[in-house]
Amino acid sequence: MIGFLLSLTVRQQVLRKSTLLLIGLGLLVVLVAFVYRISDSSMEPDEWTTKVLYGGLVVTAMLPLTALMFGTSVLGDELEDGTAVYLLTKPLPRWQILLPKIVAPWLLTSALVGGAALISGFIAIQDGDTGVVIGAVVGLVAGALAYIALFVLLSLLTNHALIVGLLYVFIWEGALAGVFEGIRYISIRHYTLGLSDAIAGNIPDTFNAYMSGSTALILIAIVTATCVLWANQRLQLIEVRERP
Amino acid sequence: MTATVAEAPVTTTDAVSVESISRWYGNVVAVNEISFALGPGITGLLGPNGAGKSTLLHMLAGLLRPSAGRATILGESTWANPKIYKHIGFVPERETVYPFLTGLDFVKLSARMHNLPDVDAAALRAIERVEMTDAMGRATGGYSKGMKQRVKIAAAIVHEPSILLLDEPFNGADPRQRLRMMDMLREMAANGATIVFSSHILEEVERLAENVLVIVSGRLAASGDFHAIRRLMTDRPHSIMLRSSDDRRFASALIGQPAVFGVEIVDGHVVLHTSDLEAFALVAPRIAKEQSVTIYEMAPTDESLESVFSYLVRR
Repeated sequence: MIGFLLSLTVRQQVLRKSTLLLIGLGLLVVLVAFVYRISDSSMEPDEWTTKVLYGGLVVTAMLPLTALMFGTSVLGDELEDGTAVYLLTKPLPRWQILLPKIVAPWLLTSALVGGAALISGFIAIQDGDTGVVIGAVVGLVAGALAYIALFVLLSLLTNHALIVGLLYVFIWEGALAGVFEGIRYISIRHYTLGLSDAIAGNIPDTFNAYMSGSTALILIAIVTATCVLWANQRLQLIEVRERP
Repeated sequence: MTATVAEAPVTTTDAVSVESISRWYGNVVAVNEISFALGPGITGLLGPNGAGKSTLLHMLAGLLRPSAGRATILGESTWANPKIYKHIGFVPERETVYPFLTGLDFVKLSARMHNLPDVDAAALRAIERVEMTDAMGRATGGYSKGMKQRVKIAAAIVHEPSILLLDEPFNGADPRQRLRMMDMLREMAANGATIVFSSHILEEVERLAENVLVIVSGRLAASGDFHAIRRLMTDRPHSIMLRSSDDRRFASALIGQPAVFGVEIVDGHVVLHTSDLEAFALVAPRIAKEQSVTIYEMAPTDESLESVFSYLVRR
C-alpha cells in the first residue's frame, strides 16, 4: 500500500508545472559551475565549490526552495483540490498516508538537488578534493529530509505554508541566523552545512560550519522526528470541507 | 425495502445517526442542532444551495468535526475514526480526481486502500456497475463531468459498503446516466445498504428517496416520508400575481370564492392568496368569463424552492 501511494505521489509531483521550474534551477546550477570552469576566476576550485557553489547557491537557495515546493504541495494541494478525500476516507492508519507523502518529496528533492550538486561539483572541483562533493551531497540529502518534514507539517498547519516557509528560509535562516549565532541551532541550513563539513573530512571547516557533524545529525533527526510525529497527529484531526 | 427516519431517540444500532449536531464557522452557523437516525433504504437530504447539506454529509463521513453533538455510523463516532471507512463509501461533490490515472487505476487505488483480497476483480466489478467499462482505460483527466461522477461512485462502492454517502451525485450526469445511477442505488438499498444523498433538486429526491430530510438554513425543516412532505409543499398557501383587462373587478369577484383567502396590491399588481391551487385554477377562468374579464397573465410569485423551504421552516 505504502509503495503504491509512494508511486502515486511521485507521479503527482513530477507532473506539476513547478517541477519544470525546479529542474531549470538545477540546470542553472550546473551552468554556473560550467561558466566558472571555463572562466579565469582567481578563486581556487575547492574554495569556489564549497563557498560559492554549495554554501552560496545550492544549500542556501536550491535545497530549501526545492524542498519548499515539493513539501508544501504534496498534501497541501490535495487538501486544496479535494483529492485528499480519496485518501482520508479509507480505513488506514494516518501514518500510512503520511509516510509516502514525506518519502516521495524527499526522494525527488534529493534527486534534483543532489544530482545538481554532484554534477556541478565535479565540473567545478577539477583536480581538487572530491570528498567535498560527496560531503555536500550527503549533507544535502539529510538536510532535505528535515526540510521536507518541516514543510509537510506547515502545509497541515496553515493554508499559507508557502509564505511561512519562505519567511523561514529567507528571514529566519537567511537574515536572523546571520546576525544571531544561537539561531543557527534552529536552522536546517546550518545542520546541512555541519554534516557536509564533517563528511568532507580532510579539509577542516570547508563549509564554514557552525556545528559538528554529530550535532548536526542529531538535530536533523530531532527536527525530522518532531515534525513527522506532529504532522501525523495533525493528519488525524485534519478537516476536509467542500469549497466554501 | 424499508427505511426509517426518526428524530429521537437515537440508538446505537442505527446505521446512521446524528445527535444534536451543530457546526459553525466563526459566527456563521452552517448546521444547527440536527438529530435523526436512519436505517437501510434511501434518504434524500433536500435543501437549497448553502443550506448545510454538504456540511452535514461531511460530518457524517467523519471529515468535519462537529462543533457540538456527534455523528455515528453503526454506533461508532465518525470523527477521527478511520476504522469506520470499512463500512462507508463517500462520494464528494467536487469533480476533481487524479487526472493522470485511468478510471480503472483510480478505482483500483480505492480497492488497494481498502486492502481487498482481489483488487482487480473488485475494481472491475465496481466499474461494470457504473457502466464505465468502455472508458476505464482512459485517463480520468479526459472524462466528462458525468463520467467522473460515475468513476467516483465506482471507487466509493468498490468495497461494497453498507453505508453510502453521496454529495449531489447527479450533478453533471445526463438523463440516461442519472436513471442508471438511480437504478444502481435502488438495487444497493434493496440489498440492505443505507444510502444518504444530498440534492437541491426536488424531482431527484422525489424519484429516488423514500425518506427525506429537508434542511434549510442549517436546520432540519421537515423529515419523514417524502410524499407527506410533498403534500405539505403542495398544500401550502400560494400567491398569484394577476394581470387582466379589469384587475379590480376580477379580484372582487374572486375574493368571494372559498379557495381565495386574501388579496393585496403589490407594486401596482393584484396579488391573490389561495390555499387550494387546484380549486383556484378551476374557478378563475369561470369567474373571468362571468365578469367578462380577459386574463392576460396569472403567475405564481413564490414558487422558488427557497420559498417552499421557508414555508416548511415557518410551520
